Amino acid sequence: MDLFLQALIAGILKGGLYAVIGIGMTLIMGVMGIINLAHGQLMMVAMYVTFVCFTYLGIDPYLSLLIVIPILFFFGMALQKYLLNPLIKKETILPENQILMTVGIGMVLTESMRFIFTSDYKSVRTVYSNATFFLGNISFSLPLAIDFIISILITVLLFYFLNRTDIGRSIRATSQDRDAALLMGINTERITFITFGIGSALAAAAGALLMPLFYLFPDIGGPFTRRAFIICVLGGLGSTVGAIAGGLTLGLAEAFGATYIGMEFEEMIGLIIFIIVLLFLPGGFRQLIKV
Amino acid sequence: MFKKVSFVILTLFLSITLIPNIFAADSIKVGIILPLTGPQAKFGEIEKSSFVMAVDEINSKGGVNGRMIKLLIEDDTGKPDVGRSAAEKLISQNRVVMLAGGYSSSVTYAIAGVALNKAFPFLVNTGSADKITEPVSFTPSGQRAERLRKKLSEEKDAKKIVKLKDKIARLEKRAEREAKAILPRFAIFRLNPPVSEYASGLEGFLRSVVKPQTAVILHENSLFGSKGAAAFRKSCKKLGIQVLLEESYDAGAVDFKPLLAKVKAADPDLIYLISYVMDASLLMRQSMELNMNPKLFAGAAAGFTLPEFKQNAGKASEKVVSATLWHQSLAIPGAKDYYDNFKKKYNKSAEYHGAEAYSAMYVIADVLKRARSFSSKDIKKALSETDMMTVFGPVKFTSYGRKIHQNRLKTYVVQWINGKLEMIWPKKLAKVKYVYPVNWLKERR
Repeated sequence: MDLFLQALIAGILKGGLYAVIGIGMTLIMGVMGIINLAHGQLMMVAMYVTFVCFTYLGIDPYLSLLIVIPILFFFGMALQKYLLNPLIKKETILPENQILMTVGIGMVLTESMRFIFTSDYKSVRTVYSNATFFLGNISFSLPLAIDFIISILITVLLFYFLNRTDIGRSIRATSQDRDAALLMGINTERITFITFGIGSALAAAAGALLMPLFYLFPDIGGPFTRRAFIICVLGGLGSTVGAIAGGLTLGLAEAFGATYIGMEFEEMIGLIIFIIVLLFLPGGFRQLIKV
Repeated sequence: MFKKVSFVILTLFLSITLIPNIFAADSIKVGIILPLTGPQAKFGEIEKSSFVMAVDEINSKGGVNGRMIKLLIEDDTGKPDVGRSAAEKLISQNRVVMLAGGYSSSVTYAIAGVALNKAFPFLVNTGSADKITEPVSFTPSGQRAERLRKKLSEEKDAKKIVKLKDKIARLEKRAEREAKAILPRFAIFRLNPPVSEYASGLEGFLRSVVKPQTAVILHENSLFGSKGAAAFRKSCKKLGIQVLLEESYDAGAVDFKPLLAKVKAADPDLIYLISYVMDASLLMRQSMELNMNPKLFAGAAAGFTLPEFKQNAGKASEKVVSATLWHQSLAIPGAKDYYDNFKKKYNKSAEYHGAEAYSAMYVIADVLKRARSFSSKDIKKALSETDMMTVFGPVKFTSYGRKIHQNRLKTYVVQWINGKLEMIWPKKLAKVKYVYPVNWLKERR
């Protein structure tokens, strides 16, 4: 029973973090209709910013959220404005050449970070990095629990933003029907900048939250891009609520898989669920929850 | 007059174009393949730095019979297919005289396949899966036998087991015949001990100090990890240790808690881990979070000896024991100098991977000095006649068991004591006394 509960807790806590990563990607996908394959790499950049803040300026990783999020927000906006949007106007054989661009951006980010920081493994060691508390026999990692709470906060804020503010509504409108949104007088181009900015900022938040627990090197982005993609497909492309469900599902699947099947299959289990969902529920969880 | 001028111009022109060529021909090209990007880049970097440091020293002392050695370093990104094409490029396009390097076992094995095909000399300094120096494992029958052996370990039906064993024996006989045929092309030599011998030093420590009854083996699901686990299972059998659980994991996982919770429930005396550096530090940190308290945490070299292990695991690294292939305090001439010079030059601590690479470079220089010509055949002959001392230990390639061209070395045990990697076993060579028993709960508070 303890084993089961430990796996459940591990899965939910990790799932919360995954959800934040997934929402960022799914937002971009909803509005632009493309997969941002540099998502994990943006997260990696945010992790380096957190690392620099902590090591050279002595700023706590959680406090540095306030620095990392704006930096990556503007960085993401600039990427969309100067690198991705110009491609829409170009006629090419490939209709989705922006996706190729994101792959390129990802590579450039990885190699630039390698150039600056080398391939060294970095980590942020705070006093609470290894702090744990026990409820019964179940151990909770303190930073992971804090991460989970902040993840929920960020998600709630984001939903408030999307549902209650003007820009948020415009984003949703653009995501539903770009042409109609344009006819209603929404500056859709500006919305794409903002969306990419928010997507990057969410990746940044996830990166900063992960920093006290995990480690960092330039190639860390790839696995997270893959996870984000799986989460998006699980949840249904473009669905934010779906991404939360997808994140939790992936987290739980990994944790239970590691406990009852074998940790070596951790990634495989995620991919198997991915294929099953594609086969039997092609629209993802979105089909079930209709959000 | 015109003729004279044109003659002068022509000679000038020729000398300008030809001289660099003469210089270029003067340097001897050696191909090195290492993971410089990707998750294993840290190891590749330490080895590259050591290779470069060694080649600079050799060249500044006059190189090989007056000719400079030029290293062509290729990145394998930690992937076997990339390593394979890098090897092909170095051999056929860059025309190097021999290959060296190879970090992970899987990549090294892939490079070895290319070298074998082209009968090309390849000096391995880190890749440690046993089969790299076993010609039998490169034959089709040998590979089939290995697959069947895996099947045999999972088979429960007694009748089928007999059948399988029979088939394997037949295949092995055929593999030996096939191996004889490829021997003339087999120019793969290995400087470091194979993974099955990594724990030989640790065995002594376990037998006379720790005396564990039960053990759990955790390993990465790679060639290095699974072969290391299989070898340690054999050691356990020899020492009468019961293996309660053997689990593998994917490198780069975020959360090892579910796995470790299972280990904790099994409550073993010894936890033996075969991991690269960041997985190793996360495993140790999270085992601390779960308040695990076995008699001993022991690592199988690789990730556990790097300075980054201590940096990232923090106090969770304290008192962790690991097998190692080398330590700077060993009474090997030059070992301490290498360690100090490396620290001076790169402002980082060196460890056994670096020593392997540094020594490999000296072996290469020695081989090239002795080789009659730089043809693959002559280099192979010179390699097989190697008998020298390096900072990593004596190098002499011998055959034993199924292995050929294998350097035989002892392995040692180190422990992280007060943030320093100290050699603690064998007792005779150790300068620092081991710390045992360890109360991990107290140690890590």
